[in-house]
Parts: sequence; structure tokens; C-alpha cells
Amino acid sequence: MTSLAKSLNPKNDPNAGTERFERAEIDASARIPVLVFFGSAIFWLLIGSLLALIAAFKMNIPGLLDSEAWLTFGRVRPAHLNTVIYGWSSAAGIGVGLWLMARLCRVPMMHTSLLIVAGVFWNLGVLVGTLGILAGDSRSIEWLEFPGYATPILFIAYAFIGIWGVIMFRYRKPGHVYVSQWYLLAAFLWFPWLYGTVNMLLIWQPIQGSAQGAVNWWYAHNVLGLWFTPIGLASAYYMIPKVIGRPVHSYYLSILGFWSLALFYSWNGMHHLIGGPFPAWMISASVVASIMMFIPVITVAINHHMTMRGNFEALKWSPTLRFTVFGAMTYTLVSFQGSLMAIPSLNTLTHFTHYTIGHSHLGLYGFFTMMMFGAMYYIVPRLVGWEWPSASLIRWHFWLAAIGITLMVAALTIGGIIQGFALYDPAVSFTNSTLFASPFLWVRGVSGILLTVAHVVFAVNFVMMLARAGGPRDEPTLFAPHAPDKEVAAV
Amino acid sequence: MTIAAILIIGGLIFLSGSALIAFYWAAGDGQFRDLKRGAEVIFDEDEPIGRITDRFPAKRKA
Repeated sequence: MTSLAKSLNPKNDPNAGTERFERAEIDASARIPVLVFFGSAIFWLLIGSLLALIAAFKMNIPGLLDSEAWLTFGRVRPAHLNTVIYGWSSAAGIGVGLWLMARLCRVPMMHTSLLIVAGVFWNLGVLVGTLGILAGDSRSIEWLEFPGYATPILFIAYAFIGIWGVIMFRYRKPGHVYVSQWYLLAAFLWFPWLYGTVNMLLIWQPIQGSAQGAVNWWYAHNVLGLWFTPIGLASAYYMIPKVIGRPVHSYYLSILGFWSLALFYSWNGMHHLIGGPFPAWMISASVVASIMMFIPVITVAINHHMTMRGNFEALKWSPTLRFTVFGAMTYTLVSFQGSLMAIPSLNTLTHFTHYTIGHSHLGLYGFFTMMMFGAMYYIVPRLVGWEWPSASLIRWHFWLAAIGITLMVAALTIGGIIQGFALYDPAVSFTNSTLFASPFLWVRGVSGILLTVAHVVFAVNFVMMLARAGGPRDEPTLFAPHAPDKEVAAV
Repeated sequence: MTIAAILIIGGLIFLSGSALIAFYWAAGDGQFRDLKRGAEVIFDEDEPIGRITDRFPAKRKA
């Protein structure tokens, strides 16, 4: 193992070693750092789900748990958002990203201690931030509620990951840079830029007036499009071909999709501010860019569908594929929906209603979270050299999550549209417009219970696996020594 | 000009610049030349094209 100083020295020849590494060796090198991120991500997923349930039921039972200040809606709701964004989604995404980077660079992970330190700091940052929000130090800027004393900790954690990414890419084995790697490198580069800029402009030296709103939404939308989306797509572009043993349908389209996402996405945030006190050109440019997102989205949709074509039966027997394809289909759906929501006449109806909440859950859960579950089902057995203990727990996890998120999005979408028409009608009082949405919020609460149970099921399977429960199998599914019985359909 | 403004504009130039450099590097390095082979780099002799690599875990040994 080379020292960190040596790895960072530009004079050191990255191609000095010509040896080839076994896949198992690369996976084994990733074990501790990736498990640190996955384990903590699942912990925060459970905490985030509980906070979500409390916030959801408060919509219908306002007096629920209101005796303590830290359990009031104004604290629980941002605590939910930030734990699932930074604690679950980002940590799971980093874990998947680290593993994919090592595999695609074709070298064992170097300097894993950097990543373990990063994992510890990241979780410390999320913990301090969440406790800060619950204690009343929330910053009242959506997606950035963590108090000022928590963000530097997250920054330190991220710096370690960034440095590690650069070293790994430099010491990769020669050959083609696969499309997933492009997405990951971009995400690793974009996140510190987004997070750094928004902290400088809103916290460190706050700009004044309505420009704050523009910076806020530039960040909040880009963290979805330039951080979570590339990681999710990197995973799909690796998992789908790898699981069914068939290269991506059109590699050309995948490259086009990557560069067009890079070009269009960062303009999208302003569509959250349609009707706000902003120069018209800003909003118009953002609406146009939102429509242009059809290009990267359609390339991804065509590619994943055509790669899967003739292999949809594989969804029956591969847990990874089941979650990943659910995520990929939802990506198409949520992106189309997002582009349409940016059209001002439709935005008038959906803005300030539950419809938007449904859209964000479809994106972050239906697409990203399902994608991360799929990747974890593939990665974790290879890290620990052990099968998932229970196939039925995987099935329960999938169906609870799939039905839960479908129910939630359906309820919030229909309820949001009804609420939107009611808000638009001068004959309906504001109070009544909220009452119309009430039954749909009950359904949302129930769907939240389904999702929480799904997460508990997943956590149980994960912990059992780490404890090596389940005993040996007569047919080690993931390490099958011989060709599988089902042939892949001809291209 | 405040420090924040310098950092932000500097960051913008640095990041856009690195994206451009990355694109030129990729084109010059031949990354876009043979796309069919590019799509196949995730397969090798151990896990060739046609090998399925994920299943539900099978029933436990009695």
C-alpha cells in the first residue's frame, strides 16, 4: 500500500504497476468503507422514516405529540428531509459510488482509511445537524436546514472523498472510461461546488432579498439533478447490463445522455419560482431548459428499455434488477412529470399543493432510493462473501416499498390537484381547500407505514447478513461457478 | 469584490474549465472512438457477456 503523500505526488507514475486484479480482490478491498456508508445510511433511513410518520400524521391530527417543542411539525419535518437527504440518500449514494469507482478503475481501493474517516465525519455531521434542527437551530432554508455548525463537518467528510476519487481515477488501469464512471466523476465534482456555493451565498455572506430564493432553488434542484441523478444512473448503467449479461443497447445514446444532462440540468431550479419576483428571462430560461431535459431522459429511457427487451422475465429472479428497473422506469416518469410541471400554466395549478410533495417523493424514493436498494442487493453479498439470508424478506421489502410509494404518489397527486383547483376558486375558502386534501393525507400516512415496514424488513435482512445468519446454500446464487440455466435472449 | 464572490466566480471558471478539459481529453484519448467495445468493458473472461450475475438466494441446505 502506497502512502498518501506518494499517491498525491504528481511525479509518481500512476501506470507503474501493470498487474491485473481479480474482481474478488477489488470487492474485498471495498468492504469496510462501503459497509460503513451502507450501515449508517440504513440507520438514518429508519430515523428519517419515523420522523416522516410523525410529520405526516400531524397533518391530520395537529395535536399529535405537541407537548414537546422538539416534536413540533416545524422541527420534525425538516429533520425528516435532512436525515433522508444527507443521512440516507447521500451516504448510500457515496457507498455505491465508491464501490463502482473501484470496480470501474479496475484497481483495489487505495487509502481506505481516508474513506472510513470520511464516513465517521459524515455521520457526525448528520447527527449534529439533526439534533440542531430538533433543538430549534434550523436555518429555515429548505434543503439547508442543518445549522451552521454542522455543515463544516460535512465539508471535511466530503473533502476526503473528493481527494480519494481523484487518486483512484489517476491510478486506474488503462482502458475505456465507462459511462457510469463519467456520471460518478461528474457527481463527485458537482456536489462540493453546489454545496460550497450555496453555503457561501446564503450562510457565510448572505446575499440580500429575493436573490436568496434563486440561490436556494438553484441548489435544491441541482442536488437532485447533479448529485443524486448521476449516481442513480451510474448504478443503472452498470447493474442492468451486468445482471442480465448484455451490453447497453446504445452506448452512443448513453454518452449523449450524459453530456446533455450536464448541459441542461443546472438551469432547471428557477422553475420553482414561476410567478415570483424575478426577472422574466430567468424563469423563461429555466422553463426552456426543463423542457430540454426530455433529451437526456429519453436517451436513458430508450437505452434501459432496449437493453432489458426480451429479458423482462429476469425481474422474477433478480432482486437487483427488480429494484433497479423500478427505479429506471420511475426516472422516466418523474422526469417527464417534472418537465411538464415547469410549464407555467400547469405550474399555476400544482404549485403550493401536495402535488409537488408527491413529485419529490417519486423522484427521491421511486427513482433514487429504489436504485440504491437494487445496487445494495448486488454489492453487499460481494463485500461480505455471504448470501442474503432470506429471499422472502427481499420480496416483502420490494412489494411493501413499491406499493407504498405508488400509493403515496397517487394520493398526493390526486389530493394535490383537488387542492390546486380549490385554491384557484375564489368561492372556496382557504380552510376548505386544505380540508379537501385531508382524506388523501390519511392515505399518505398509511403509505408511510408501508414504507417504514419495508425499511425495517431491509434492515433486518442486512443485519442478519452481517451476522452471517442463514447458513450455506446448496446453490450460491451470486457466485454460481457454472453458466446459469436460463439463457439470455439473443440481441 | 468580496472573498465569497472571488471564490464563486473562481470556482465557476475552474469547474467549467475542468469539464471542457475533460471533454477534450476524452475526445483526444479516443474514448469516443470505439463505442461498441466501450459498452463491453464491464465484462471479462470470468463474467462474460451472457453470464447472469444476480439471483434471489436459493433455499437453505437441509
